[in-house]
Amino acid sequence: MLSAVWLIPVIGAMLVAALPRRFGKWLGIVVAATVLALTAYLAYAFDPGAHGYQFVERVEWIPGLHVDYHLGLDGISLWLLLLNALIGLIAVLATPVEMRNSSRFIAMLLVMQGGMAGVFMAVDLLVFYVFFEAMLIPAYFLLWMWGEGPRPLHAAIKFVLFTLVGSLLMLVGIIGEYVFSGASSFDLTTLAQHQPSSQLQFGLFFLFAAAFAVKTPLFPFHSWLPDAYLAAPTPMLIAFAGVMGKTGAYAMLRILVPLFHSPVWWWDWDQVLPVLAVAGIIWGSLLALAQTDMKAVVAYSSIAHMAFIVLGIFSFNAQGQQGAVIQMVNHGLIVTALFLIVAWIERRAGSRDLRVVHALGAHMPVLAGIFVVVTMAALGLPGLNSFVGEFMILLGAWKYSAVLTVIACIGLVLTPVYMLRLFQGSMQGVPDDASIPLLDIGGRELALMAPLVILMFLLGLDPYLLTRVMTTNALGLGLPWS
Amino acid sequence: MELSVLLLNRTVNYTVDMARQDLFQVGPIVAVTIALLLAMIADLVLPKGARRTAAGALTVLGFVGALLADALLYNNGRSAYHGFATGDNFAVYFHAFFAILGLLTVAASHAYLHRREFLTSEFYVLLLAATAGMMVLGSSTSLVSIFLGLELLSVSLYILAGYARRDTASQEAGTKYLLMGGFASAFVAYGMALLYGGSGTTLIPEIARRVTADSSSNPILLLGVILIGIGFAFKVSAAPFQMWTPDVYQGSPIVVTAFMSVGTKAAAFAMILRVFDSGLPGLAPQWQALLAFTAAASMVVGNLGAIVQTSIKRLLAYSGIAQAGYILIGVLAGHSDGQGAVLFYLFGYLVMNFGAFAVVIALSGPEGDLDRMSDLNGLGHRRPWLGVALTVFMFSLAGFPPSVGFIGKFFLFAAGVAHGFTWLVVLAVLMSVASVYYYVRVVVHIWTPAEKRAWPRLTSGTALAVAITGVLSLAIGIYPVVLYLIAQAGAQPVAAGGG
Repeated sequence: MLSAVWLIPVIGAMLVAALPRRFGKWLGIVVAATVLALTAYLAYAFDPGAHGYQFVERVEWIPGLHVDYHLGLDGISLWLLLLNALIGLIAVLATPVEMRNSSRFIAMLLVMQGGMAGVFMAVDLLVFYVFFEAMLIPAYFLLWMWGEGPRPLHAAIKFVLFTLVGSLLMLVGIIGEYVFSGASSFDLTTLAQHQPSSQLQFGLFFLFAAAFAVKTPLFPFHSWLPDAYLAAPTPMLIAFAGVMGKTGAYAMLRILVPLFHSPVWWWDWDQVLPVLAVAGIIWGSLLALAQTDMKAVVAYSSIAHMAFIVLGIFSFNAQGQQGAVIQMVNHGLIVTALFLIVAWIERRAGSRDLRVVHALGAHMPVLAGIFVVVTMAALGLPGLNSFVGEFMILLGAWKYSAVLTVIACIGLVLTPVYMLRLFQGSMQGVPDDASIPLLDIGGRELALMAPLVILMFLLGLDPYLLTRVMTTNALGLGLPWS
Repeated sequence: MELSVLLLNRTVNYTVDMARQDLFQVGPIVAVTIALLLAMIADLVLPKGARRTAAGALTVLGFVGALLADALLYNNGRSAYHGFATGDNFAVYFHAFFAILGLLTVAASHAYLHRREFLTSEFYVLLLAATAGMMVLGSSTSLVSIFLGLELLSVSLYILAGYARRDTASQEAGTKYLLMGGFASAFVAYGMALLYGGSGTTLIPEIARRVTADSSSNPILLLGVILIGIGFAFKVSAAPFQMWTPDVYQGSPIVVTAFMSVGTKAAAFAMILRVFDSGLPGLAPQWQALLAFTAAASMVVGNLGAIVQTSIKRLLAYSGIAQAGYILIGVLAGHSDGQGAVLFYLFGYLVMNFGAFAVVIALSGPEGDLDRMSDLNGLGHRRPWLGVALTVFMFSLAGFPPSVGFIGKFFLFAAGVAHGFTWLVVLAVLMSVASVYYYVRVVVHIWTPAEKRAWPRLTSGTALAVAITGVLSLAIGIYPVVLYLIAQAGAQPVAAGGG
């Protein structure tokens, strides 16, 4: 059944690519909706009391090297899989039919969605790597062939090369883990029980962390992100920022934390990453403040938010890591909503420059209303989803290091500044007399936004919905919680 | 019936039965040689109109016959001709490898030769001769027969490289290859002489027994190893002996480039595995130092050199230099996993590299070969299947999953890390990143829109070659077990010989 979650979009994509645009979109919607339904069923059938991975599929792949095609779901990957399915559907729905070669575009989106689903389900290190790297190919084509701005090719190549430096080093790490851990296995559960010596862990940790730090992206490996996000067409950007960034953070939680308990030699890597995360929070927030392009504000804010998630993961306690998982889902929802809003504003006002766009709220009350909810969610207003995640992360981080937490809070203070600037700058103010009245968003766009906003409220009011399956029982790999 | 021959003051008894058994051990080579002779005769006696088809058919029959003889030989191999040749699984693997390469070459080049008005029969005869030479290298267990195979292969390729007689670039390629190849052969011959002088035998298993770690102080042996190493590095186009590669690849007609880029490399690696891994385990630290340097240099030179190329042939030449560097990691790692990885990757290299060339062959018109990368613009839109295929080959060469290029590299790197060459693997990985840049550049050209071009009609043979290599590039990547097991079985004799 888990194989279907990635095979349906990949096979569906081949059919979609061959169809003319209108049919292509319809089939794309059907495929994405099927995946969402399937994933929702998995969530429904998921047993929070059961131990370890569920819905496991295991077939020998390369017997000589003990590589298995091994998929499974646990209390963490389940939510990311759901997020991926939901955002995948929204991305297909948000693709305009008039776009050049829209069928191929949707096909590529589906392939990327399938690859990301594979990353979240893989329990074997090599299978994980295959999905982790294979999803680069559709991402590259999407960025290059449908990219916006002056140099989409440049952005696409930069993204691919940055990511590859990391992920190929990870390949060395994977082989090293196989050889040096003494486990002679690529199975994550087995590897977690075979800890190599601290010095080896120190080296291997670096090889793995490099890949994930680039993907997340973590300061100072983030420089591909503004180029790529600014070049990405909105439907792709949703899946890109909403889900693909999470694969890096997810992998940190899934691989770095359980596999390397003490990566200490010349220094302790476990102490380096939280520092980088805090630096990323501050740096991302400051850069977001300095932007006038609305898309760039959201892009840089995303660096800060992802850094928050990393801080949660490397606080090594239940609050921090559960908060990180919640925040991955939250950020996926919020960033999707924000990029959609920016795209809609751009389509109507003809610009997304904060110096040009202003006082749109008068003409577009509905959009302004939704925008204010999303802004509040992004800056962590209690009652909306982000508050819970950020609070748990800060709680966890405080236990780990009070100093770092205090510094991270500076970033938290900056968030409302740039978010409110984004909202007020574009929506509020007195319209010029000469300005042409703009059309408000219609029913279709509202329908696209509705599930996101509903989930923001739902997860804000009842976070237990997510955390109840994140018990030690429902996890496939031991995290230092119990 | 029994024949008694006086050889080096020893009486050798050789019965007809022994002769039959020895012939069976080299059956694939016999099949190719018979096809070669028949093709030559057919070219003399048949009417002009039938020659082209007859030569093609005989060549195909020869390769198919070689595959059949090979299938009978599988797991039935033993030493033949007093230790000069063998039919072990290592030889079986390479016989099949070269027969498949030959079949793909015929499929891809038949229409091309006609388009460019080349002499067809002669091309096929030389192709068969070169393949026979490669097969000899696969099955040789003596320095003498190795040199024989090497020369048979090289001489045929010298002529093939200059096959476009009216094209100065091709003439230059032929001459350059002849001169440089002559030097390399001389190095190998000199090295073999020294090795013989130091060990007193030319039989590789015997050398393995006589040359032990104590021999490392023997300067004659060491010099022999260095000279042979230089010759081999030249043949696999490994740096710093790679200078000829881009020029020869670019100047030769593209079907020849396609054939020799894969064939020469595989044959030379067969030779390296036989001589170094199975013949000189006693001097392993010495030749490992030599080859490790060569591997590192190849990866750097090949990958950095490829970045600035605008010609597809030159790009693939530099990529071939880099790939030789990756494969050397497996040779260095040794053991059954390293050698198995070499055999696995060579077949992967066959499908992806030959496939890439086959696409370009399909687009090469009567006036000359398509060579500028910008000539590929619009391929993805005008000929979507060829565009998709070339994209697959490029991503496979770059080592993206789920392609054979990824799995092959994974095996090589895994063997490298497991046997103490982690530094080379890290270098290979970093250089792979650079390689992605130039492979992707080809992909960019494929999918850049452009106006209609006068590409020749796609013929069924070329389409078949592209389809087979394309499907295999993905299929082996997704389900590598079959080839993995075959490669492991193929590496067994060499690993056993190496102790």
